[in-house]
Amino acid sequence: MIYTVELLITNKKNVRDPEGDTIHKHLILRRGYKCVRKVRAGKYFVFEVEANDSEEALRIVREMSFKLRLYNPIVHHIEVRLRG
Amino acid sequence: MPLSKEEIELIKRILGHEPRAEELAMFESQWSEHCSYKSSRLLLKLLPSHAKHVIIGPGRDAPAVEVFPGVAIVFKIESHNHPSAVDPYNGAATGIGGIVRDILTLGAKPIALLDLLYLGNPRDPHANWLVRNIVKGISDYGNRIGVPTVAGDTWFDKSFNKQPLVNVACIGLVETKKLLTAAPEPGDLILVVGNSTGRDGLLGSSFASRPLSEDTDKDLGAVQVGDPLIEKLLIDVIDELVNRNLVKYIKDLGGGGLTTAISETAADYNLGVEIYLDKLHVRESDLTPLELLVSESQERMLIVTDRSRLRQVVELLEHYEVPYSIIGSFNNSGRIKVYYKEKLVADVPAKDLAHPPALERPYKPPVKVIDLWKSISIPEPNDIADAIVKVFGSLNIVSRRWIYEQYDYGVGIRTVLEPGRADAAVLRLLDGTNRGIAVKGDANPRYTSIDPFRGGANAVAECFRNLVAVGSEPLAIVDELNAGNPEKPEHYWFFAQMVKGVAWMADELKLPVVGGKVSFYNENERGEQVKPTTTIVGIGRIHDVSKTLTIDLKEHGSSIMILGTTYPELGASEYLYVVHGIEAGEVPIPRPSLELRVASLMRQLIRNNYVKSAHDISVGGLIVALLEMAVTGGLGLNIDLSKVPTRGIRRLDELLFSESQARYLIEIDEGNVDKILKLASEYNVEASVIGKVVDKNHIELRYNSRKITVLDLEFLAELYYNNLGKAIEG
Amino acid sequence: MAKIAILKFPGTNCDYDVLWAIKSVGNLDAEIVWYKDFSVKGWDAIIIPGGFSYGDWLRAGAIAARTRAVERIAEAVSQGVPVLGICNGFQILIEAELLPGALLLNDSGKFVCRWIRLKIEKPKGPWLLLAYDGQEVDMPVAHAEGRYYVEDYIQIEALPKIKYLDGWNPNGSAYNIAGIGSSDGLVLGLMPHPERAAEPILVPRGFSTGGSIVFKSISKALKSGW
Repeated sequence: MIYTVELLITNKKNVRDPEGDTIHKHLILRRGYKCVRKVRAGKYFVFEVEANDSEEALRIVREMSFKLRLYNPIVHHIEVRLRG
Repeated sequence: MPLSKEEIELIKRILGHEPRAEELAMFESQWSEHCSYKSSRLLLKLLPSHAKHVIIGPGRDAPAVEVFPGVAIVFKIESHNHPSAVDPYNGAATGIGGIVRDILTLGAKPIALLDLLYLGNPRDPHANWLVRNIVKGISDYGNRIGVPTVAGDTWFDKSFNKQPLVNVACIGLVETKKLLTAAPEPGDLILVVGNSTGRDGLLGSSFASRPLSEDTDKDLGAVQVGDPLIEKLLIDVIDELVNRNLVKYIKDLGGGGLTTAISETAADYNLGVEIYLDKLHVRESDLTPLELLVSESQERMLIVTDRSRLRQVVELLEHYEVPYSIIGSFNNSGRIKVYYKEKLVADVPAKDLAHPPALERPYKPPVKVIDLWKSISIPEPNDIADAIVKVFGSLNIVSRRWIYEQYDYGVGIRTVLEPGRADAAVLRLLDGTNRGIAVKGDANPRYTSIDPFRGGANAVAECFRNLVAVGSEPLAIVDELNAGNPEKPEHYWFFAQMVKGVAWMADELKLPVVGGKVSFYNENERGEQVKPTTTIVGIGRIHDVSKTLTIDLKEHGSSIMILGTTYPELGASEYLYVVHGIEAGEVPIPRPSLELRVASLMRQLIRNNYVKSAHDISVGGLIVALLEMAVTGGLGLNIDLSKVPTRGIRRLDELLFSESQARYLIEIDEGNVDKILKLASEYNVEASVIGKVVDKNHIELRYNSRKITVLDLEFLAELYYNNLGKAIEG
Repeated sequence: MAKIAILKFPGTNCDYDVLWAIKSVGNLDAEIVWYKDFSVKGWDAIIIPGGFSYGDWLRAGAIAARTRAVERIAEAVSQGVPVLGICNGFQILIEAELLPGALLLNDSGKFVCRWIRLKIEKPKGPWLLLAYDGQEVDMPVAHAEGRYYVEDYIQIEALPKIKYLDGWNPNGSAYNIAGIGSSDGLVLGLMPHPERAAEPILVPRGFSTGGSIVFKSISKALKSGW
């Protein structure tokens, strides 16, 4: 079966996020959206994975992302989730 | 390494009591190898650093050299090896950030960057990841701050697979009279400008002062993320502060963070300091005083100004939206007093903090190195064309186009030559004249890992030759010494010999070593050091940038001439490694007096307008230099190898691949041959025409009437321009 | 004398280069204006130079395009003031929808810096006044997000364009588009850097000073109309 798996990559909490900070300060706050308190930027990937069940699909994406360094485990935090 | 028992005892005696946690953290940071140079200071005193054109030598954040009357160049080299091993993208990027800020401290405008990368085998998956991300980190950061990356050096070797060496250099331009040489005085205010302080890079300097751990997650605290946008704002605002004479003294907050910046300044100028940590602008509100003292958050600088100018400084900072805080002031006490919310958290004498006792480290040559200095017996290759192609296609030889096309080399419109076309980069001053400078960086890790004394000396010589070949007058160099664990005598020996080799050659060539850096602890978790490497970055003066020389062959019918003598020196050569798998032998003998004579001859020939193209001979030997000239120029060659002046050469491979020093190739008009030969003999340099440039697609090698081989130019060009990209991207 | 505004955002870094080229090749008066201080009054032409405004965060030019300064540029255009966007300036004009299309990440996924051969098609307006249709020029590019995209060629067919010559497209741009102008050529955007190609000393062997035509054109246009 084909499963759709999402991978979200953001900087770890203690690691600076200049992209999120700049977008927050220079775009969002400046144009009046003062109710937005914080912005974190990151990367988003969608994978179509062939697997026996959803658990396996998630495991494959987690393993692959680590091995192939789709993210850098030293600085990035990831979320792997099923879509739909 | 954390502080030794002796060091801790000494600190107790200095303070007169048990150190507070904050005070201990300050000492641990400042007395780390990276910040204090305690293992290298004594030997570094051997380097010659004086000359009449040296305005500021070692001591400040960067040295300054007068290149033309009233015009100074500020330049510096630095390493970011350990952060790049853990997080190559940010490690390399923040390396660029740091070196640029050092240039800003003297009021100079950064006008060029160099990247000197000693990387692993790109076919190894981990090394490949490091290569791509290091280059991307430098590219993304350097491009965004608007400083062109104009030259570099790269070497690929498996000893760097997990421990890359990332050396970066920055060149700055400033009018001599605008150099910030004034001293801060009691009453002057201290501002921190730029990025806010956070938890990143806590104790990063002591991280760089020990070998990497197996578990890289433990090293996370040392990772720093760069923000080139803030860096660019800093560059712009400091430029204006300096031009409007609003600032007296600037220091970068780099290794050691606030502690180092404050202690070094106070110690250098016999001052004391009062700092109020709670005034510092921060990213997280719960930072402790200790964390504030040693954080190494990027893109922060210390600005010192007197009270009367404060308002204008603040106005400018706010106009450019650069965050800042006023954290304290200078006084006469000689002590650093740190307060946090009214409470005194540290009280330390400045000079004692800034200057830990230097250590005299023992050294001795490892037996296995001496074993390498033997005569090498190898069979002559059956197929010389095959050997040539292997060497020319080797990753240490081929074009670095894959790398340098990712760097903006043209921003600033000073770059007169694009990368890959000449032995050094050339930048015009952009002052309405044709005056300019040449800049180049060189290293040969194989040489220094086999014979560090000769290797260090030859690195200086190679940089010197590159500056001469492009038509400049070499003026000064800086050095980066990358070595293993200084606590191990058999690692430290390499460092000691490299220093001595550099010092000797610099003295002989009259090239002041105006600054430099040392990176220790480049070893893996098994305690094996990487190949110790000496990187030399040099600058030269050019009176007319429109007359610089490039390596590409220019015209059918020209003659090719070699200057200098070729000896049978295959030891430690690229050929020996690539074709025979051997990394041993005697490193080519450094030849300072010949270097000087050939350089003088070259300068005379260039002054007489005899030289159409010029290339120095180095890694790979004579044949590689010839092929590089042909491929870049798109023209062929007919060469008679029997005409090469030699001494002691018996074999063809010795002739082609020997890496003898002090040699150049020049393209000249046939009509000038006799005049040049006459000059060469006056300078006591062996010279000879060895062939002709032809508008054909081949390079033909003969020995007298015997044809040796014919190589196809297009095939070689394909190899030269694409091999590196293929190796990295597969 | 006619005066040109060179707009500067946080992260702009080709401002001084353009100032130099305008003054030395175009022989015009120009000034670098910080975006917060920019107003339309008094400027005969406006240039948005290259660089990385706001670090190219989000998308290149995306944040700068939402500033008041760029709103004023739109006003200036409606008042007939010529506007030139170079590299990041082009990206800003595209994000502000003052020119049609989009600019995406180069198909190699990497920044590319190299000299390119180009040709000018259907030149119109002040910035290309001295150019003729089909004229070939050389200039360097230095960008990571230069791949031009447009949904339908019909949208841009009649517009003045600068195209990469066949075999010289560095980023996969649709229809080899390196630059594009508004229908009257008043607004022009291009990825290559004319200010780096306006002086012989900067030009590599085998190429020519393709950038000077832009500065000489605006100079003539401001003196004697277009």
